[in-house]
Amino acid sequence: MKAFVLAETESAARELCAGARTLADEVVLVKFGAPVTGVADMCLTVAVPEGAVADDAYVTVNAAFDAQGASVVLAEPAASILSVVGRLAAHLGTAAITDIQSVSDGVATSMYFGGVGVREAKATGDVAVYTVAAGTFDGSAATGGDAVEELAWQAPASALVKVGSEQLPPSDVNLQGADVVIGCGRGFSQEDDLQMARDLAAQTGGELACTRPLTEGVDWFPREAYLGVSGQIIAPKVYFALGLSGQMQHMVGVAKAGTIIAINKDKNAPVFKQCDLGFVGDLKTALPALTNALA
Amino acid sequence: MKIVVPCKVVADDKDIVAAADGSLDFSKAKPIISTYDLNAIAAAAELAKANEGSSVKAITVCSAAAGANTKLRKDIIARGTEELLMTADDAVADLDAFATAAELKKLVEKAGGFDLIVCGDGSADLYAKQTGVQLAAALDVPYLSEVISVEAAGEKIVCKRMLATEVETVEVPLPAVIAVTPEIAQAKPNSMKDILAAGKKPQLVEAAEDPAVAVVETVAIKAPAQADRACQLFEDVDEFVAAVKAAL
Repeated sequence: MKAFVLAETESAARELCAGARTLADEVVLVKFGAPVTGVADMCLTVAVPEGAVADDAYVTVNAAFDAQGASVVLAEPAASILSVVGRLAAHLGTAAITDIQSVSDGVATSMYFGGVGVREAKATGDVAVYTVAAGTFDGSAATGGDAVEELAWQAPASALVKVGSEQLPPSDVNLQGADVVIGCGRGFSQEDDLQMARDLAAQTGGELACTRPLTEGVDWFPREAYLGVSGQIIAPKVYFALGLSGQMQHMVGVAKAGTIIAINKDKNAPVFKQCDLGFVGDLKTALPALTNALA
Repeated sequence: MKIVVPCKVVADDKDIVAAADGSLDFSKAKPIISTYDLNAIAAAAELAKANEGSSVKAITVCSAAAGANTKLRKDIIARGTEELLMTADDAVADLDAFATAAELKKLVEKAGGFDLIVCGDGSADLYAKQTGVQLAAALDVPYLSEVISVEAAGEKIVCKRMLATEVETVEVPLPAVIAVTPEIAQAKPNSMKDILAAGKKPQLVEAAEDPAVAVVETVAIKAPAQADRACQLFEDVDEFVAAVKAAL
């Protein structure tokens, strides 16, 4: 059995190749940009020409797949790779099963409604195509050789044209490495009120995070600070759930936290069924008292 | 510009309940338009407004019950679209992205073709972000995802897209499919006037003809395992603070 891996970042290349090795004897890695060796039996690189867009690599990648053949495809869930893997799935007459957290005997599990449920799904055809959530496989377990080959770029008939690019400022948000994370929800009705959360963060060495409304509705936070569906999953020692209702879509992102401490005005908020300690009342009462006490 | 917006009908997840036996109970969850598709409709309506002579049509592949739901149909069509075309048939409800794209392609043809198809970022249930690209593949046209702004420029559109570390500006030759992020346009609730006017707009609801066959099978849907937590609640702030201090 052979596996075909599509990756953009080195960490995903390692994790996915390690995972592919558990599913197949032979692993072919298609890597966008610089090659990664020692993780697959063959690394095929894709160099996106000036003015082209990585999403248009599908003609090149589909041809490489046809030349190699494989019965399982593992892809990194990065924006351009999602386009390429979608085109490959269409080419193979199947659909990608996305953001899988495990796969066994061809049955893959993914989140359903952002964590309200867990879905098990199975491809019915000859090739199973998966995108794989980060952290599903252990990248350090990857093994392989040094063979590297560059694929010749083949542009589609009607191609995208990249005419500009603006680098985003590097984010200083690092939720993954934080011992204490302070999650803010809609209970913060004004941006000024966030100062209370910032004070608690300063006191506890914590990082600030938020629920979706605060990244997309009002723009008080960068996207990296968002926890929940399409966000990220973290496992801090302590998670403060402040002024947030505790919708499953958010709580799934913090379910692995050691201790969850919640504050909400509404005693019926779902967060109180998923916390260790909870305060029913106003943020303006509890937060300054908490920050003082932890000084 | 002929614009088509595919929208997905999903269960309203705030009323999906995890049952004691580990299954999910959907009986109280009403069918609604998947949240990010509302932003796609709003973006399409704004683009049409900015480009005189444009049209926006909505297309939906859903269950027979969703197709028979007048309120749901009005909700879609009231949002600045001028026609709704639906394939409402249990044979095509809950298909995977490949098979759904095959059904959407038929609806695009029934709608009289397209210059631009605007999809939402991902659906509320699976959030797979695959239907747009599958539809582009089925129609053999360009596809661009994560679009945060779009402007018409003759035979093409110019889009900005948000990636992890950069914002790309990309020219997309038409006809094409794009997937837009929720930030692109705000979805406003429908006014009574919009809803009344919606009743008069054309709606085509038909059963599937030679329905597409699923290539991904759902084996099971279960409630997630939940960690046991103490759930110790306080109404006295001093007691709460003392308990937090003791716990940390």
